[in-house]
Amino acid sequence: MEKVLSKITDVTSDPYAYVADLREKKQKKIIGCFPMHVPEELVHASGMIPVVIWRGNELVTWGHSHVPPYDCSITRTFVDDAVRGKLPFIDGMVFDVRQCLQVGEFPLIMERNVKPAYQKVLYLPPVIEGDPTKQHLLDDLESFKESLEEFSGNKISDTDLRKSIEIYNKNRELLERVYEIRREKPGILRAKEVMQIVWSSMLMPKEDNNELLEELVKEMEGASVAPQNGKIKVIPVGCLCQTLQFDILDLIEDLGMIIPDDDLYIGSRYFANQINQNGDPLRAIAERHLAKSPLDPTKAVWDVDWGEEAIQKMKDNDAKGIISIIVKFCPPHTCYYPDFKSKMEEEGVPHVMFQMEHEIISMEGIKTRLQSFLEMIGGV
Amino acid sequence: MDDVKYKINRLQTTNDIRPLVDKHWAELRTAKERGEKVAWASGPTFIIPYSMGIKCHFMAGYAAYCGGIGAADEVLKVAEMTGDLPETCSYHRLHMGMAEAVRKEIPVNPQAILPIPDMMISGRFCPEMSHYAEGLYRRLNVPVAAIELPNAYEREDIPRLKRYVLRQFKEVLIPTLEKAFDKKFSYDRMSEIIKSLKEAALIRNQCWEYFKTKPSRWTLWDYGVSIAPVFYLMGKPGSVEYYQKLLKELQERDEKGIPAMAPEGEKYRIYWDGWIPWAFLGKFMRKLTPNGALCICGRYPWEFFPHPEKLDPENPLESFVGTFFDEESEKIFSNKAPKGSMEYISTLIDEYSIDGLVMFSSKTCRMWNLSHLDIIDALDKRHGVPGVVIEADMIDSQMISDSQIDTRLQALFEAIDGRRA
Ligand code: SF4
Ligand code: SF4
Repeated sequence: MEKVLSKITDVTSDPYAYVADLREKKQKKIIGCFPMHVPEELVHASGMIPVVIWRGNELVTWGHSHVPPYDCSITRTFVDDAVRGKLPFIDGMVFDVRQCLQVGEFPLIMERNVKPAYQKVLYLPPVIEGDPTKQHLLDDLESFKESLEEFSGNKISDTDLRKSIEIYNKNRELLERVYEIRREKPGILRAKEVMQIVWSSMLMPKEDNNELLEELVKEMEGASVAPQNGKIKVIPVGCLCQTLQFDILDLIEDLGMIIPDDDLYIGSRYFANQINQNGDPLRAIAERHLAKSPLDPTKAVWDVDWGEEAIQKMKDNDAKGIISIIVKFCPPHTCYYPDFKSKMEEEGVPHVMFQMEHEIISMEGIKTRLQSFLEMIGGV
Repeated sequence: MDDVKYKINRLQTTNDIRPLVDKHWAELRTAKERGEKVAWASGPTFIIPYSMGIKCHFMAGYAAYCGGIGAADEVLKVAEMTGDLPETCSYHRLHMGMAEAVRKEIPVNPQAILPIPDMMISGRFCPEMSHYAEGLYRRLNVPVAAIELPNAYEREDIPRLKRYVLRQFKEVLIPTLEKAFDKKFSYDRMSEIIKSLKEAALIRNQCWEYFKTKPSRWTLWDYGVSIAPVFYLMGKPGSVEYYQKLLKELQERDEKGIPAMAPEGEKYRIYWDGWIPWAFLGKFMRKLTPNGALCICGRYPWEFFPHPEKLDPENPLESFVGTFFDEESEKIFSNKAPKGSMEYISTLIDEYSIDGLVMFSSKTCRMWNLSHLDIIDALDKRHGVPGVVIEADMIDSQMISDSQIDTRLQALFEAIDGRRA
């Protein structure tokens, strides 16, 4: 497993170098898709390479002249990376401005300071019943498709799109299999390795990632794991749009907890829900966008309860508690959080929350909270 | 600060706004006692219940109202006690605080308490707006009628967004409300409202002319407190009369040469971006006035039907929706998305002879903050007009730092002086 994991680490330890190199090697244009909703399949079908934009790896400097300190981490670091010229390998950028207000920061800032050769604003709707929303979503996807065709110079046929969907579905299936094996053999991978695996799928061409994942799955299937005696299972939830610092994932595990499954964006949320491979491919992409589960707090879903979903996941995994990770200054999550917390209290589910910031203010503070949480759920 | 003792000449007419607004909220507060059903609405969707004779609370108006009666801090406190995080949008916290005060019988200023709605209309202008509705649904089981109200980032997107919004009004919102309230939507009633709104807003546009005079005859704060008659008081008795009286007073001032700012008018004409700081109008006035700085115009207070001539009582729904998606108008295209905003502010700088920009950046609401620093930079290059960002909040007093505001304003005045020298 080490070999394949080290290939994955090569990708995620320096995504800048990896994507720049990818562009050179494949001689294809790179389209940066701001998380979480841009349908990458359309970009793929146009013959370009979609890459999900990531939280930067340095302290914000020049970005301060463009965005306020009370924007979320990925917003600040992405702007910082872009204006510092760290992303010259990104040919085009796509933003779904209806996800949350912060995505609205980008179009003007990029246009003025970075001037990507291609930029597209999407207005992907929340989950609202009725034909007007479905039609609008299809119109928006159609407009996205046309703009990609124009920029790439390639017509996207239904057959192309179906092919891309198939490749993406395969990737989802493989990631799901990785998770399944982790559930069966808790401890087989460190939590940070799992996050890196999902992240690698966001950065690599899916075909290449599928090859790696196939290898990984085979090795995971054959591997045996020592029993994780005394370790208590917990489910992390949230951390929308971005990676959590690996140190924090390590801390959770080093304190004696184990993560058999998650409800993180760079985790199970990214590969949830296959796209229907039959019928009209654009409609199938729209259907996936309008899925109500896993609950996405940016999509205005009323009748599915995030807390209940998380509790179910906890029970399915025989876990003992839930760790909420809220990206600081992420309004969709903070607005939802009081209800999530009430649900945990109502159902008597042990729960702890901490806020994720790009600049970790106090690792010690997070440690103390996790320690008392561990005591609460029966650890030492 | 120079030696001139600047002072605001107060308008008489603005004293009339309080009774109008209080009447609206009092009617709403007592609706249930009269056996009436109540809706709450975000975005400009309240016109639909109004046209059906349903009492409706307009959510952003509540923030101004709460700020006005001095109840904001205690309601925010309840929100905090019941789990809201401080960085959450303060309009959201106000509503959750109020709902929790009702649900858990936590005592707060009774004037701040509104009846829990029978239906929540979520007009998702800002993506964060649906969260109010979700919270109420989850906590109080209030049913929700949701529609999406996207604003255009590119001009070419306007027609399809307009089509989408209009279809939702017709095919989603109206039928849902008709069913829930067992009442028919009335095009005739909507037509009357649009007629009255148009009349009030046309007079309001004449009033805007008195911001263009040098010196200005009134202040942005005067207009801020006068917005209700061209928004959530639309179609209500007294709204047109309010603007008629206001216009008359401004005309008189103009004839007599009375400036908004004594003794001889403003030294700095300021563009104010973002929310009006409802809970802190006096505070900002005390910081601006002694320096001779007068707020003249802003993108938010200019968003309320700047082209009333396009409202058509014969075609009320289409023309109402059309005012938010007007391809020909810089004012509409641009009111929120940064690229268009930049163009729009640029026209306001010229039209109102602006000397400096104050970008009021709410720490809990990014609706108007987007790309503020880039907008300042671009407009400075284009017009030679400097700008500063003030980081604060429209309601939450814990997010207001006097020293930061003072330093930034001082820097702005110095920059304007420097350019004049
Ligand atoms: S982390 Fe939250 S606020 Fe930031 S971009 Fe994602 S959804 Fe928006
Ligand atoms: S974030 Fe701003 S625009 Fe959105 S609901 Fe809150 S106050 Fe309104």
